[in-house]
Amino acid sequence: MSNINRRTLVEGSLAAAIAGTALSRRTFADTTDPILLGVSGPLTGPNAQYGTQWKQGFDLALDEIMAAGGINGRKLAYTFEDSQSDPRQSVAIAQKFVSDPRIVMELGDFSSPASMAASPIYQRGGLVQFGFTNSHPDFTKGGDFMWSTSVSQADEQPLLAAYAVKKLGLKKLAVLHLNTDWGRTSRDYFSKAAKEYGAEIVVTEGYIAEERDFRSTLVRVRDANPDGLVLISYYSDGALIARQARQVGLKQVICAASSVYSPKFIELGGDAVEDVHVGTRYFPEDPRPEVQKFIAGFKKKYNGLEPDAFNAYSYDAMNMAAAVLKIGGTDRRAIRDAFAKVKDVPSVIFGAATFDVATRRVKGAMNAELVVRKGQFALWDGKPT
Amino acid sequence: MSSWLDYTINGLIVGNVYALVAVGLALIFGVSRLINFAQGSIYLVGAYIGWVAVVQLHTPLPVTIIFVAVAAALVGLIIERFGLRPLQNSVRIAPLLATIGISFVLDQLVMLTFSPNPRALPSQLPDVRFQVGGGTIGPLDLLIAGVGISSALLLFVFLRYSKLGWAVRAASQDRDAAMQMGVDVNRVNQAVFGIAAALGGVSGLLVGMYYNQIDTAMSLQATLKGVVAEVVGGAGNVPGAVVGSLLLGLVESYGVAVFGTSYRNLFAFLLLVLVLVLRPNGLFASARQAPPEPLTGTFIAPSRPVRIPRWALAVAVAVFAILPLLPVSFYVLQTLINAWLLGMLALSLTLVAGTIGQVSLGHAALLAIGAYTSALLSLTLAVPVGLAIIAGGLMSAALGTILISPSFRLRGHYVSIATLAIGEIVSLVILNWESVTRGPIGISGIPPLSLFGYDLISATSVYWFSFAVMVALALLQARLLSSHLGRSFRAIRDDDIAARAYGLSLNRYKSLAFIFGGFAAGVSGGIAAHLYSYINHETFNTQQSILALTVVILGGLGNVVGAVVGAVALVGLPEVFRIAAEYRILIYGIVLLLLVRFRPQGLLGTI
Repeated sequence: MSNINRRTLVEGSLAAAIAGTALSRRTFADTTDPILLGVSGPLTGPNAQYGTQWKQGFDLALDEIMAAGGINGRKLAYTFEDSQSDPRQSVAIAQKFVSDPRIVMELGDFSSPASMAASPIYQRGGLVQFGFTNSHPDFTKGGDFMWSTSVSQADEQPLLAAYAVKKLGLKKLAVLHLNTDWGRTSRDYFSKAAKEYGAEIVVTEGYIAEERDFRSTLVRVRDANPDGLVLISYYSDGALIARQARQVGLKQVICAASSVYSPKFIELGGDAVEDVHVGTRYFPEDPRPEVQKFIAGFKKKYNGLEPDAFNAYSYDAMNMAAAVLKIGGTDRRAIRDAFAKVKDVPSVIFGAATFDVATRRVKGAMNAELVVRKGQFALWDGKPT
Repeated sequence: MSSWLDYTINGLIVGNVYALVAVGLALIFGVSRLINFAQGSIYLVGAYIGWVAVVQLHTPLPVTIIFVAVAAALVGLIIERFGLRPLQNSVRIAPLLATIGISFVLDQLVMLTFSPNPRALPSQLPDVRFQVGGGTIGPLDLLIAGVGISSALLLFVFLRYSKLGWAVRAASQDRDAAMQMGVDVNRVNQAVFGIAAALGGVSGLLVGMYYNQIDTAMSLQATLKGVVAEVVGGAGNVPGAVVGSLLLGLVESYGVAVFGTSYRNLFAFLLLVLVLVLRPNGLFASARQAPPEPLTGTFIAPSRPVRIPRWALAVAVAVFAILPLLPVSFYVLQTLINAWLLGMLALSLTLVAGTIGQVSLGHAALLAIGAYTSALLSLTLAVPVGLAIIAGGLMSAALGTILISPSFRLRGHYVSIATLAIGEIVSLVILNWESVTRGPIGISGIPPLSLFGYDLISATSVYWFSFAVMVALALLQARLLSSHLGRSFRAIRDDDIAARAYGLSLNRYKSLAFIFGGFAAGVSGGIAAHLYSYINHETFNTQQSILALTVVILGGLGNVVGAVVGAVALVGLPEVFRIAAEYRILIYGIVLLLLVRFRPQGLLGTI
């Protein structure tokens, strides 16, 4: 790589000497400017919080990538365009990224409508759309430029079902799920697996994302007389449901999908989330070095803040992007091909991550069985609550 | 059976939560005949001020409440003085739009200050629970009920027995007469805004404590539910707002009980439409209430429209037509494609809102109907895309007109509320009607645009296609407006009683306008579906409807060219401010406020 640097240095200084500042800046742009990733995601609007969490994960990963020498000696950076997770804006951003030669790969968007509306433009423009929160089963079917590290719910939900049915011995389950493409797909995989393990789903309730009041829903749940509640929720609605479940007098065991894994879940849920069981893809006490490095680094960079699942996704995504770029260089097509070549990239969510070329997703999410004890997530010790 | 007691209690508890917002809305509507879309944002501000008090200053509960009330009241006074008072002599729609702009600004300021992550707002009341039925209620439930009901009672007494209350009522009945009698109307407005804002702030605090959770996205939902509750009770009627809220809570709770959680909001909005159809002034409208306003004659600004010469228009069309041949980026073309699609929607809305006076806040539903029709026809029945889009337009025209027809007999603000509800109902039906719409999974793999067997994939060809369709629709509409039919439309808008006396059948003309408008919107939705290749029930949401209304008011109501100019401006502005990232919605809100303030008749004026 040193010869590239030397060559560019020579070219750069020649150009600077000959053509003055404007031209020299352009020539320099090829090599001394950072390799640029485009991020399309929400910074304003109802999903703004997730965009903020993405940034935290990206920035931490970038610090580490730079400290380790960047991408073959070059800097890595990203430009974050606010889409509000709105398809109209994500398609415009897609055109912007596709026609900007500095952008070598795109990350995002957050929601399925915004991501999949932009997919045809990325596919035709030959720019990788790397979605890391896109669990919609059709996302990677958009074309061979769509890759994802979003855990396939087909992988994750059976693990949660095994935790609830086999380990905790729950035989009659109530499932509450977010009524979105993610919640719906997850619910279907969960219910199928739970039935295979011998449990019965006695009631299923889907709620919309803006919902805040669940008391009447929970009375329906109570009347179905389950021995366990399963929440396919994000942390904020999951905490609300747990609180209101205790308020309306439900004392059943609660299990929740990994998406509630956040310190915020405990902060928002308070005493009500004590003893809630969570299947998760990572947890702070996991001794694997990737996890410990991530958590220590995150706390150091953000004044003791505990990372959560979305921080981990974006951190992993940036590291994965770096690994791909190291192989693929800066050519867009070569970058697409490099996704099939990266092997065993260290990651928080997957351990050693490798893409399945057939699905263009990563297989084999890590799974830890946690329970909230004394206001903290802890490894489940095998004792039923 | 015991469960029904629980459903009733739960309905009353959540109804109380709605009442906190609805009472403030009712008070403001009572005086200024204004639906204050910023009330939800004041509620948001109250919640965050409460968070500062509780978590950082550790104030005891009574101090917290007073602190929040005073701070929120100050915000209300500032809004009244600087946001709304300068607009008091302009068109009626101006303050409504201003409150939307103010809500953007307030929401964004809170988000920038506190970050969008949700926060816990701990309750300052002891966590004891009393067994009632199968469930429990706690002190906070009782406090919320107490605040809701006692504030309604206090306001009722204030309006009925105090001197300032009389002034408030006088000002609400006839502003000019009140001024002639020596009432200081500005003082009255200020008092009302201060009180309503204090109530709104305290409600944000209490609701935040109730859920132990506050976040910056909570304001729109609060406004929506508050508006529904208020209108059900009878707009401007303070005790009615409380009853309406409780009724809304009960209907939602029983709806969940019978049909399940995913139908919850469907029943809320169906209740609203039903009440509006049966009792257009709400359940508790008094017979002595001032007669409802004439349709939207008062919405229309007295202005001379800017006449753009034909040759200039032709040049503009030619320039935009050859734009893809010039060295412009696909990003610019894509942004303009968005503008043309929004332009078609705006043409539709400017016809029904501007020309015939039916302000619609649920116009995105027409997009959704067109998009789903076109997507499903081409995907499942292999109908050619061009035909499918036309079918989408026809379906929007037919279904949209039928759905909106109950609102034809409503007047003034009630029309916009009814259409808002109809928009929500369409979205919720799409979410729940899984056998046809695939529910929350949405429709993916929609074939790309094509014409006579040729796929239109590149940004250039999509640009030409959407631009041509929009120009065709605009020409057709301009022709329509200059005909006898167009003059009849405007006659109905300006004075529906005179128009009826002249022998015009209002319902028939309104239907005609919606049929044409529905077609344009449906075509826009159809093209969008094939452009995005994936749609779900959230793709065409309330924010789209609000954006469309902003476009037509910005451009000038009823103004065909104005609709297109407005669409280009409002698609372009956020893109121009893209560089400002987190600040761009704030800037957008401020620009909107300035426009409303200095050019309320729209850029090109009303025709």
